[in-house]
Amino acid sequence: MIIAERRPIPEILENIAPYSRVLVLGCRGCVAVCSAGGDREVAILAEAIRLAREREGKPIEVIERTFMRQCDPEYLEPLNELLPQVEAIVSLACGVGVNLIADLYPSARVYPGVDTSFYGANVALGKWVEKCRGCGDCIIDKTAGLCPIARCAKNLLNGPCGGSQGGRCEVRKDMPCVWHMIIERLKERGELERLLEITPPKDWRPAGGDGLRIRVRPDLA
Amino acid sequence: MGEGIKLAILCCNYTNLAEREDLYEVPARLEIKRFPCGGHIEITDILRAFREGAEGVCVCACEQGTCHNGKGNERAEKKVVGARAILQEIGISPEWLSFYYVPRLDAEAFVEDVKAFFSKVLKEKVEERGK
Repeated sequence: MIIAERRPIPEILENIAPYSRVLVLGCRGCVAVCSAGGDREVAILAEAIRLAREREGKPIEVIERTFMRQCDPEYLEPLNELLPQVEAIVSLACGVGVNLIADLYPSARVYPGVDTSFYGANVALGKWVEKCRGCGDCIIDKTAGLCPIARCAKNLLNGPCGGSQGGRCEVRKDMPCVWHMIIERLKERGELERLLEITPPKDWRPAGGDGLRIRVRPDLA
Repeated sequence: MGEGIKLAILCCNYTNLAEREDLYEVPARLEIKRFPCGGHIEITDILRAFREGAEGVCVCACEQGTCHNGKGNERAEKKVVGARAILQEIGISPEWLSFYYVPRLDAEAFVEDVKAFFSKVLKEKVEERGK
């Protein structure tokens, strides 16, 4: 899922400083699952904004809503009724949601309430770890399902580097060396020869180096 | 100067049976809000208590290992950690929010904790005014 983290509240307050009626808009997609922008986080941020503004002597009216998703136009339609009631929106969706609102509702002043961080997995309660970088050209069929683009600090395609020590990454000791993991796993499976083939330099165009990435499925479009 | 201070006490219904009369020694305006379990106390409840005028908020939950619902008391403590971080971000001293594990149905221990919290808030207030 897309992992996000709430932006510092002073930054959010600065963005909405000129306004007296705002909408804090959550999303029940990824950001709800990673506890950054679901119903509960909307309620917390709204209450924090009210409290901060009352202490400043500039009370604010905060409307709280959470949409099923903010990355599909049809789920944004209730904004048609909400927008006339507010001066600005603080969206707790990932950057996709904020962008889509900005695209579809050009007059809406929409501000991000979260920083969109990475694609990750929920490995323990309250802990999310990056597993994919969305580079658009998967090589994990050759690496036992473990991604060296996302999980190797040097994004090595032919690893490990000389700095891997005792299965730990030299860049961050708290991080396991993913190439060590890949080799151990392939060795266990008797498939180490897979790594005899040198992976050529990666084409980064599908990762965004060629501009905006667009996917069209002709049978649906 | 303590009489002017408003304190909100958010507690598990089973933690505390004390009423305002039991807290007559605390010279503050007290608001006691009871919840079905410490685990029901949300960060928004804590922030709302501040917004409703409390200068100090005290969250009390059952002692470890005694929560009716397993881990409601630990959840309450974590909510306090989350609320403190938010208070700090918006310029309110996190010291004005305290958490206590309280023996169940022991009003005396609860009263002592509220007294200790009141003294702490009062001290903070005096220091703040002295700045």
